[in-house]
Parts: sequence; structure tokens; C-alpha cells
Amino acid sequence: MAGIAYEQALANLRKSDYASPPELTDKQSLLKKYHPDYQEGSTQKLVVGANKGDACPTTLAKLLQSNAPITDADLAGALVINTEVLVVGAGGAGCAAALEVSAAGRKVILATKLRIGDSNTVMAEGGIQAAVGEDDSPQTHYTDTLKAGHLCADKKLVAQLAISAPKTIRWLIEQGMSFDREDTSSLSSKLLRKKPGGATRARILSFKDYTGVEMMRVLREAVELDERIIVWNRCPLVELLSDEDGNCVGGVVYDLSTHRFMLVRASKVILATGGTGRLHLNNFPTSNHYGATADGMVLAYRIGAKLREIDSYQYHPTGVAWPSFRLGGLISEAARSAGAYLVNGEGKRFIDELLPRDIVSSAILRECAEGRGVEREGKVGVFLDVPDLERRNPGILKDRLVSLSHLGKQCDIDLTKEPVMVRPTLHYQNGGVVIDENGMTTVPNLYCVGEMSGGIHGRNRMMGNALQEIITFGRRAGEHAALTANQYPAPKVGLFHLYNWQRELILSNVPTDVYGPILFPEYGNFDFHKEISLRTRTKHSVKSNNDSH
Amino acid sequence: MKENNCVSLVVNGKQLKADEGCSILEAVMKSGETVTDNIGCSGQGVCGSCRVLVRRQDEKKIISTLACETKVEEGLQVSFLDHLPVNHRQHVYKTNDWEGKSWNILQRINEVFPEAKHCRHCGGCDNACPKHLEVQKGVNMAAEGDLNAAAIFNECIMCNLCTIACPEMISPNHLGTYVRRLTTAMTLRPSDLLRRLHQIDSGEMTIDLDAEIK
Repeated sequence: MAGIAYEQALANLRKSDYASPPELTDKQSLLKKYHPDYQEGSTQKLVVGANKGDACPTTLAKLLQSNAPITDADLAGALVINTEVLVVGAGGAGCAAALEVSAAGRKVILATKLRIGDSNTVMAEGGIQAAVGEDDSPQTHYTDTLKAGHLCADKKLVAQLAISAPKTIRWLIEQGMSFDREDTSSLSSKLLRKKPGGATRARILSFKDYTGVEMMRVLREAVELDERIIVWNRCPLVELLSDEDGNCVGGVVYDLSTHRFMLVRASKVILATGGTGRLHLNNFPTSNHYGATADGMVLAYRIGAKLREIDSYQYHPTGVAWPSFRLGGLISEAARSAGAYLVNGEGKRFIDELLPRDIVSSAILRECAEGRGVEREGKVGVFLDVPDLERRNPGILKDRLVSLSHLGKQCDIDLTKEPVMVRPTLHYQNGGVVIDENGMTTVPNLYCVGEMSGGIHGRNRMMGNALQEIITFGRRAGEHAALTANQYPAPKVGLFHLYNWQRELILSNVPTDVYGPILFPEYGNFDFHKEISLRTRTKHSVKSNNDSH
Repeated sequence: MKENNCVSLVVNGKQLKADEGCSILEAVMKSGETVTDNIGCSGQGVCGSCRVLVRRQDEKKIISTLACETKVEEGLQVSFLDHLPVNHRQHVYKTNDWEGKSWNILQRINEVFPEAKHCRHCGGCDNACPKHLEVQKGVNMAAEGDLNAAAIFNECIMCNLCTIACPEMISPNHLGTYVRRLTTAMTLRPSDLLRRLHQIDSGEMTIDLDAEIK
């Protein structure tokens, strides 16, 4: 892919009259031609499991149809721990769930692959949707969300999201999370509102342009100070536990520090392990956190949970396109929301910047594919004209777009003078595990919340609905699980679901030597299957060393 | 030795070669090391996981920074810092401690963070902060009950480097978060939110699932 050389493009930009972009008349054909979801050959149909016959990206299909790396023999002698509720994943959704379980007085273990707080939540910049404006209502929030998602979301889930949103904000304030106000000198000032792409009202509430940092540090502190929540860092879930009837009865956790398995017998399991960005679907760079490798979704599918819209992904329009060490990094929609223009290599605006993300992304990919992009050191993108925004709103970079200013410093770009090069980046999994309003899946005792769940966003997510979703549904799942948990764990727990699964794989001619979940991206140089065999060998070699003494 | 656009550096005692322009974190991954810890946002600089001590070639000074946003250099010496031990928390409080006690804020701060008023003004926290916040100033303000300290910690990413650096065990970042949480939870009452909550609670505002979508 070639584009207009950077210096030339910069000269064109400086001569630009910023005329309004041409009106988009045929959204559908733009999406079909340029959106990665629609590209031929990028998907395949699943042949096993609850979604047999449905298509999803090839990379994901391989993992959804993977085999478990562990067997009963691996678990012999493993530590067995009982709890009432097991929450997996310590981003915003997992922490919110754990806090509610604890508030209800139930025993809860919060296990996380990396470290509490290391998640996509902390990386969220733009904000959180809640209809608090006088010109707005939960009904309008509901309608906007359904429309942006191409009318295929679950209406009940969207309604729950919209009606709960103001209460969620109240809960966050009670936890100590701060929000920007219209008038900073008044404690009862109205909240500062921004308009998300695709919305009819200004509905985004935020804290500067690092809303996720503010949210996550408050939730992390709340969890860490709650003596009733047991937090296990560096403890990924590697398999769910089932009984003979196919109910979920706990999970197998692997402690990366001590290299040992732990069997957690739990009455309820809440998965909040996040999305799929780090699978780099269609070879796209990603704005996602290192841990976003679809673990929870793979395990939920294997135990029988149904998925939806798993062929629908969000490519955020403004990922960093240059320099390469920040490739795919996110530039929040806050910049476009504040009025920054997208300009191609010819110095022309080409799309209304505040249309839904899938459309803006497709338009950028079209400019790049048709040679009107900007090329620098082999990377192609378009300009996000931050200097022009700063000219029109002096001080905006310093006051409101702090994360963007920080990015400028990282990349040695003076954003008051030089535009930044952007290109779509793999950002969000629109679909996921089918849930009800309490986060319950189709598998008894198993809940899924946050990005790994599906049905709230339809086929396209609006800015600010992710942060709203994780808290609303995280809390609801926590409350519901606590209310219905049995303090006595199931008498018989095992890997019963695996036997059927493996039989299905063999009958469908799916290779059984592909193991999942992968837990870390390929460049993390981690192979769980090897890790286990190494562990076995180490154990033996220690023994033989002892024998020789 | 420097080769074509390639530099040598030492990470955790191990010699690595890396392309110029890449971050320390990228260099570690490209060298084939298994990376399952000290990593998170991978470049955005917001999660505080990849904390490192760094010494540049021919320099005595050791600085603390984040590996994901620090580029490799010839002769760089890097040590990743382990996470804090599990029992590092000294300052424990409950959010309901705040209720009805807004006139006792200074007392509350002193009870939860008794060390805060012992600050030696050594500047260790300021030097340790990868975000270059005025940590010490924030600690001193908080210790005097000045709640404007909250703003100083606006951009804190809770990497805990100031906590490690503090000889008085003050845990400045946790003190900052405490003041931030307390002021928000006790004082932020936006009028538009109050009104909307009332409208929903009273049943004045509901959602019609079957409303026509235009």
C-alpha cells in the first residue's frame, strides 16, 4: 500500500481549506468494501460447539475449537480451595462484581492473569455514557445504542444499560471516582458532557481524557482494601470445572509464580476476562492490553455457552499509524469529539468525523487503499489535525487532551505544530457470550460480564458504552451470584465437559493438538502446554537429583 | 558494540541486542524472553506495571521509569522491579469511615496515614515518579488537611514507585488516592445527576422497549 509522501501531505494540509467532507450516501457499500469484518476469506464456520455453523474470524475459530492443555492427571494433588463465588479477571467488570459479592457478605476469590487493574479498563480514555442531560433521557440512550449497533442488540440488555447508567455514575462517585464538571468552582455543577460518535445527544461523562485511569485506580484501591476479597495476581484461569450434568462448579487456576494448579470449587463463577484484541485479527495492530487473548470466551464456549455476533469487531478509527513503537495505540475519540478533523494526504476532509466508528474506520481504510493516504517510513495513514484543533481552541491539549499530549511527547511530535498519523486499530469485540440482564450465560452457575459478553452493542459499540457496561453488568452479576450462591460447593467437580468436547473435536476432524486458551500473545513467547510439560520434567529432575545424593 | 541501527543493552543482567527506536519492553519480547509479568498497557504508559531502574552509559545516576515508553539506547542498563510484597499495605481504611465526618478530615488523614507528617523532604518520591508529579508537595498538603492535594495526584498511575522510594513508609500514591476518593465521595453532587436519579427512582422516567425507532 502506497500513499502520498509525508512532506508533500504536510504541505497539502497546510494549504487546506477544511471544506466539509462530501456527504456519505451509501454507508452499506462503504462497510462492505472496506470494513475488515466483511473481507472475504477472513472468517470460517465453526464445526463444533453451541455455535456450530456460525462464522467468526479464522484466528478466533482456531481457539474456540481448541483442546484443553490439561487432563485429570495434571490436576492430581492440586490444591483444592472452596469459595462461594469465583471471579476471574480484575479489570473494571471483575472488580465491580467482586465488590458486590463482598458487599453481600459472600466469600469471593478474584483471580487475575496479570495483576489487579492491568486491563483494558485502565487504558480507556474517552469516557462513560449516562443520560443525565436535560435534553437527554434513558430512552434516547437506549435508542441511540440500538441504532449505532445496527439494530441487532438484545433490547432488554440495552434497556438495562440505559436505565442503570445514572445509578452506576452515583455508585462510582460513592467509591470516590471523580468526573469533570461544567463549572469546576461549584460542587453541584452539572457534569461536563461530550457527544459520542453516532449519538443524538451529548452523553459522555469523563475525567479528562484518562477516564479509565481514574476509574481503575479507585476500583483497585476499593478491592485491595476490602479484607473479604481474596485477590490472586498472576493466576490465569486455564479451564472451568464441571459436574456430570454439565453445570459449572468452579475453575482450574494456574499460579504463574509457583507453577502449580489450584482447583477452585465455587458455587458461582463470574468470568470478566476481557476481549480479543491481542489475537490481532486480520493482522491488525491493536489498542488493547497485553492480556486480551479471549481466554474466558474460549473456556465458556468449551463448557457449552452460546456466543453471538462473534464475527463483529470494532476497529477504532484513530490508532497510531506512525511511529512503529506506538503502532495501534489509541487516540481517544475525545479528540474528534472536541472537533479535530481527519484529513487525507491531499489535504482534504473525507468523512464526517463523528459518524459511527465502523463507518469512519472504513472511510480511512478507503483513503489508504485508494492512494490518498499519507506515507511515512513505510507506514500509511491519514492525518488527525490536532494543531488545527489547538488553533481553534487554544489550551485544549494541555487542559483536556492530556493523554494525547503525552502521546505527542512519547513520539517526539509537537502536537501544536504537527498532526499525528492515524489508521484503524483493532479495538473491541462487539459480540461475545450470550447473557441475560444478570450476566447469566446458558450454562448453569456461569456468568460473563464485560467485553467478553455479547448482546449489548449489537454490531457496533458506541464510545462510552463499554465503561458503562462493565460497571452496570459487573455489579448486577456480582449481586445476583451472591444472592443465589450456595455456601456448600458441589460434591463432585471435574473436567466432565472435556470428554464430550474432545469426542466432538475428533468426530468433526478438528485437530486435537491445538491448545487453548493461549493466555499471552505470541510475542510473549509463552506456551502453556510446554510450561506444563516443563513443570513435570522439573519435578522429576528435582526428584532424581535428590535420589543421587 | 553498536551495529547498523542496532544497540546493545543489559536487561536484568542479560545482554540483549535491539533495534534503535524500539522500547525496552519491545526489546525484551523480541529477544525471545517469556513475558508474563511486569507488563500491561504495553506503551500507553497508564498501568504502571513495567517499572524499571535504568542507568545510561557513562552516567552514575539511576532513574526509575516505565519500560514500555522508554526507548533503548546503547549501553543502557535496565532492571525490572518486582511487584511489592503482598503485605506491603500499611494504610487501611473503609469508605464508610468518611460518612458524617467531614469536619474531622485532618484527623482521619492522620489516623490512616500517620507517617505523612513525618515527611523528610528528601524528594525521593518526586525523583521516583515516572509521571513527574509533585508528589512531595501533595503529601505535605494532605498532611496539613489541604484537600487541593487531590489535584496533584490527578495523573497518578499507581505504579507504587514513590511508595518504594519513601524512607518514612508514607505510601504517597495511596495517600493521594485516599484524598481524591474522600473529596469526591463526600462532595461531588452534580445537580443534573441528582435530578435524573430522582426521575428514575420516582418512575417518571422509564424505557419503552417497543418504542418506534426512527
